[in-house]
Amino acid sequence: MNKLSKNNYEVNKSSPVKLSSHHLLAIEGMQKSEIQKLLDRADYFANLDKHADTKYLSGYVVLNVFFENSTRTRVSFELAARRLGAEVINISLINSSIKKGESLLDTASTLNAMRPDLLIVRHPHSGAPLLFAKYLSSSIINAGDGRHEHPTQALLDALTIKRRIGYLEGSKISICGDIANSRVARSNIHLLTTMGAEVRCIAPSTLMPSNLEKLGVKCFNNMQEGIKDADVVMLLRLQNERMSGTENPSEREYFKFFGLDEIKLSMANPNAVIMHPGPMNRGVEIASALADDTNRSLIKTQVEMGVAVRMSIIEALNHSKNKT
Amino acid sequence: MAHTIFKSIKLINPATNLNQKVDVVLQNETIIRISKDLNLEKFKKDNQTIIYDCNGLTVSPGILDMRVNIGKTENLKFTQITAAENGITSIVILPNQTPKLNNPSIIDHIKRQSEDVNLPKVMVYGAATKDMDSLEMSEIGLMSEMGAIGFTNGNKSIKNSLVMRRLMSYAAMINRPIIQHAEDEDLSGLNQASTTSIKGEMNEGEMSTRLGLIGIPACAEVIMIERDIRLAKLTGAHYHVAHVSTRDAVKVIREAKKSGLNITCDTAPPYFSLDESKLLTYNTAFKLSPPLRSEDDRLAIIEGIQDGTIDAIASDHRARSKDTKAQPFSAASIGASGIETLFSITLELVHKKIINIYQAISLLTINPAKILGIDIPSLEEKKVSDFIIFDENAPHTIKQENLKTSPTPFDGKEIHGKILATYINGRTAFMNEIFKNKIMK
Repeated sequence: MNKLSKNNYEVNKSSPVKLSSHHLLAIEGMQKSEIQKLLDRADYFANLDKHADTKYLSGYVVLNVFFENSTRTRVSFELAARRLGAEVINISLINSSIKKGESLLDTASTLNAMRPDLLIVRHPHSGAPLLFAKYLSSSIINAGDGRHEHPTQALLDALTIKRRIGYLEGSKISICGDIANSRVARSNIHLLTTMGAEVRCIAPSTLMPSNLEKLGVKCFNNMQEGIKDADVVMLLRLQNERMSGTENPSEREYFKFFGLDEIKLSMANPNAVIMHPGPMNRGVEIASALADDTNRSLIKTQVEMGVAVRMSIIEALNHSKNKT
Repeated sequence: MAHTIFKSIKLINPATNLNQKVDVVLQNETIIRISKDLNLEKFKKDNQTIIYDCNGLTVSPGILDMRVNIGKTENLKFTQITAAENGITSIVILPNQTPKLNNPSIIDHIKRQSEDVNLPKVMVYGAATKDMDSLEMSEIGLMSEMGAIGFTNGNKSIKNSLVMRRLMSYAAMINRPIIQHAEDEDLSGLNQASTTSIKGEMNEGEMSTRLGLIGIPACAEVIMIERDIRLAKLTGAHYHVAHVSTRDAVKVIREAKKSGLNITCDTAPPYFSLDESKLLTYNTAFKLSPPLRSEDDRLAIIEGIQDGTIDAIASDHRARSKDTKAQPFSAASIGASGIETLFSITLELVHKKIINIYQAISLLTINPAKILGIDIPSLEEKKVSDFIIFDENAPHTIKQENLKTSPTPFDGKEIHGKILATYINGRTAFMNEIFKNKIMK
């Protein structure tokens, strides 16, 4: 099985991917073949020299529209777009027109009137990018919406895993932390289960969303059990800004039961790798030394893969729009 | 003397147990004859007589909609006119409007403002607590004297147990019901202290997990009802639960009724017609309170309607502006329009053979009147009545663009049943073209 996936992995890397939609709003509902192709193309970009000529999209205008703070995601999208030769404009709307009382749709349609090709949207409310897609003519990439999805993060995580362990299908992946408030967790669950990985979710019961097992994962409240034989341990940040103060007694208690340390990690596959979408809280989700262990931590690789994955997506959306 | 005759019409009059084909004669505003073998010739001689051929049509008392929010998008008269066009001849409005209906003079003002013999009657629930914050009892005795027919905190729960106890006790003394929006607001994240990041947005379950929206557990409803039932037992009050939406709530209300307590409840069309899966595309027309529940809950509401646990169906009308709905789900306003679809969605229960037409009409007319302790609407000889004429089977599609209020959660739904005419105090308040063409030459 693994051999087969490895074979597929080599196919069709040299041309842009065509998707069934010209938006990327969520992983849920995406076809396995589409995900596969995006990853293959991203792998191709990841292998290129960073000065290689990939400026296929000259004249393409990208607006980075962020209603929430972000450094890594915004910069990653910007780099990806620039490497493709696109024009990028960053717009931070955290303290802008929204505060002046302008409605979200007015803001969006004002931006739309400037005729960008692509809007990359991050918004604190679940479903907001879908609203943009409904009313605007440009392509939309969801760069994280509330607790819903963060599709590009899941794709870059998948590429990171694939490049390290060679396959997704049949891999054992433990996602641990604040699942309830995490869009990264949801996108990863959808992507990894679609690709045939075994996904376990580990969280205190207060941070485990209702009926999560219906998404095709196994749920654990005990980290040692959930991590057993895992190939990948993916940690999530405690999103205190999305909590009411009743989810968790204290950070030190959280670290005791759900923070990754050497002892808990020893339950996993001896070659298991550690991932984290960042930003990390050292000593809360992860022992500081483990985060810096370059043999096991793929945290920096994730960031690196982010650019390649976003290049493949931006290129694919342009391709999908032109050709449909 | 002007006579109007509705010839060969099916009369459904739950108050007198009638369900048969008759001729109805209206003289000026009064029904003078309800007869199976009317001699038309006598009336035909009078050239002022109008005879409608009502073969295939039905007449019943007008609908009493016991739960209507008058929001910022409407004024009372607009709502009255829209109600009349949809077969509603009496509405009861909630106190949560601006200004709040929390003192006797404003109750009196609303009554005077809405007094128009040609428009649906407007009745009022007074605010149970002064700022609808569950802290202090409002002047419910004085409001009652001015005509307030029940007391409620509107779309918020009467949360404080001691305040609820006192309210029930006092309301029992003046013989008025306490109407509760049953929700433990701490549990649902909808209490005033909740920050936007933890406010409940939809029913909790697989769907809320998928959508990344904050779930309101179904038990937030029944927890409040169970507490209130104990207080109703303690005080002897008439306790009415509004817009019941969950299986467990139906179950405990059923049991409480069996034990002899004076407990009643209503539900609204979304709760027996729709479930949470509608939220899949974050369509804010489905953002309601209580939220749309699971399919199992929906089926339990239907069972409750069938076995009589649920006494009445109300529109729970809460129209909203397009601007407040064209928002991300979390930021959108709560509520949907209802008065324009109450009749047809209720009639759907008949077409699906869940209840019969007689039961459907009872749920919309005499049952709410009994709950509220007001005159039981009835079509009888020598009476001036509010009544509606409708075609039970006329097919049509609900379309938002054809409605006057928004948003409807039933956009695109194909239904059967149409109101053709509405009479208030025996006078025509609404009549559509189809019915005008029924005049016999």
